[in-house]
Amino acid sequence: MTPPASSEPLVEPPADLGAFAAGLDAWLADPPAAVQAAARPIACYEQRVAAMSRLMEALYAAGWGRYGWPAWAGGLGGTVLHRAAMWEALARHGVPGMALFEHLEILAPTLIALASREFVAVALPEFLRGRELWAQGFSEPEAGSDLASLRTRAVISGDDYRITGRKIWTSWARYARWCLVLARTGTREARHKGLTAFVVDLRSPGVEVRAIEQANGTDELAEVSFDEVFVPSDRIIGGLGGGWPVAMHILSCERGTFAWFRHCFLYPHLLCALDRGSAGSDDALGSTLLDLASISATSHAALRAHAAERPLGPRAAFTKLLLCAGEQSVNDWIFANDGDLALGAPDEHAAVLRQDYLFSRIVTVYGGSQQMQLETIAKQILRLP
Amino acid sequence: MTSIENHDDEILDAARRALGGGSGTDALCALGFWELLPDLGDAKVRAAVFALFRAQGRELASSAALGALAAQPFLEAAGAAPGGFALTFTRRSARRGLVTVVAGDVSGMQLLVDRPGAGAWLVDAGRAALAPIAIPGRLTLCEVELAPGAEQRFLAEDDACRARARSAFLGRIALADEILGAAEGALALAIEHAGAREQFGEPIGRFQAVRHLLAWAATDCTAIASAASEAVALDAAAPPRYDEIVKALAGRNGRRCCERALQVLGAIGFTADHDHHHFHGRVLALDALLGSSATQTRELGAWLRTTRTDPRLPSSMLLNRAIV
Repeated sequence: MTPPASSEPLVEPPADLGAFAAGLDAWLADPPAAVQAAARPIACYEQRVAAMSRLMEALYAAGWGRYGWPAWAGGLGGTVLHRAAMWEALARHGVPGMALFEHLEILAPTLIALASREFVAVALPEFLRGRELWAQGFSEPEAGSDLASLRTRAVISGDDYRITGRKIWTSWARYARWCLVLARTGTREARHKGLTAFVVDLRSPGVEVRAIEQANGTDELAEVSFDEVFVPSDRIIGGLGGGWPVAMHILSCERGTFAWFRHCFLYPHLLCALDRGSAGSDDALGSTLLDLASISATSHAALRAHAAERPLGPRAAFTKLLLCAGEQSVNDWIFANDGDLALGAPDEHAAVLRQDYLFSRIVTVYGGSQQMQLETIAKQILRLP
Repeated sequence: MTSIENHDDEILDAARRALGGGSGTDALCALGFWELLPDLGDAKVRAAVFALFRAQGRELASSAALGALAAQPFLEAAGAAPGGFALTFTRRSARRGLVTVVAGDVSGMQLLVDRPGAGAWLVDAGRAALAPIAIPGRLTLCEVELAPGAEQRFLAEDDACRARARSAFLGRIALADEILGAAEGALALAIEHAGAREQFGEPIGRFQAVRHLLAWAATDCTAIASAASEAVALDAAAPPRYDEIVKALAGRNGRRCCERALQVLGAIGFTADHDHHHFHGRVLALDALLGSSATQTRELGAWLRTTRTDPRLPSSMLLNRAIV
């Protein structure tokens, strides 16, 4: 099938996902320049972001990047399964990861479910075509795993709000136009009940974004400070005091369906490194294959549940733990079979492999630490005392 | 508890009730197992059949279901009706060469012996010497000694060859599901213990070290449950060697789950009186059939490295799986 040349929204998405995937494969068989450029290893994060933004623009123009999103939000209809198929196909055609468009899968489903339609109808198409990106302002210097203790305050000022505080580990903030900020509108004693989610324009006066250079050489994280930043009251998502369910909705995506998207890139990552292995590495390779199969099966179940509007809730912790374990074993195997990676980066490809290996050491920290996922399972699923 | 989705709980509960009651043979009849076998092409039937194996592991029940399921492709190749046949499994012993075993109470049944290269053979269970293997697990498992001349040819090699891969697929997924059930049984014992056993004035299930061990064990079980369910849903459309991947995953994770449960149970879990060793013993025994996880994990690694076969579930097929 061929996507529509114009941007006329279809009433019905292609129901047959097989046909959708086949059409996409045909489009990728002669890859457009933007796909080829995004498929090259790029160690410089700024250049990678630029290449990914051009890829999104091309996907949007061809229609593929619009499937899986509702027509009223600039999409062409369909479900998360269409998006899952698209990123899987891009992974098979050499695109190494979603980079900052991971936030499409983490934030956009929540915006669609809980934000005002008028705002999403304007903001989402710009996100989809790679022009106006999003960051997520949750963690603070004093609030990591204990998110409900956060201190950033939103104070009412006339009909609107002024936000003051600091967010940290805010992924991709320096590239983003919008930040979904969790701020306190109630008392500290109210804990999670006193929080509200705001969409903040990062171009507003009083916002300062400072990039944080990471130990693996990339600088996708940032610290963001807000000094009496004006936010109109219609930028509240989930209602006043309704910030916690918004955060949980987002984290359920980040821990459940997102595993499917991220793991798609682990397979080609491993397959490309196979020629460096030897018979002595077969046990570890086989075990890695089992880890990847675990992510595929659990995250596929998460996708089906999401598409059927039966979110996983605390069970998303299982897919998050399995994703982290698989990402680490893939990178362990690659690192163990490529001695160059410990001693520098002889070329651009090795530089990216080294970045990925180092990053895989902390995948158990972001999106809720491994220990918090284990606690979620212990408490909410196993019902331990 | 350890499924990522809840939709199969009802079938599983029914199978557990039937198998928990007494004889495995009666339970198979009560569950309509023999009537289900010819309809394995139907995804719902497959889900019911494989749930039975998970229940069997969970209840420490024993039946001839494994051999009967694995015999089915051979019976179909021969145009024979299901019921009354059980496939035997041959493994290589480090001490005694090839050893043939059969699972469950097979009295009155016909034993099917697959000999790769020489077709499939049939022998009346009454004419074979069955020596019970004494292992924990409340598992009826017998070594089969075949008297010379007692067998008759059932399928020529060409026909047997076609049935063989399908039989191994069904057998491995059934074993994975039964390993899952047994591992979940061990985990349930440990969870109960963590709530009841007190040290330092509180239940040990309040200590993070214990909670995290159990959460990891549940995660390992969830991975088996999801992969086995994927294999059951995809069936013949599963990617290459998916049955071996699922079986190796079940063996590895099942052993790991039992070990974590044992650590939580402490010394009481290592006594003959405690049920943990039955669940653990069953996991170890089932892991040894149709290729152990240790051997298969290495072989799968070698296969991936040397053939570079793409092991992924094809996305188009994967995404077309019915939303149930």
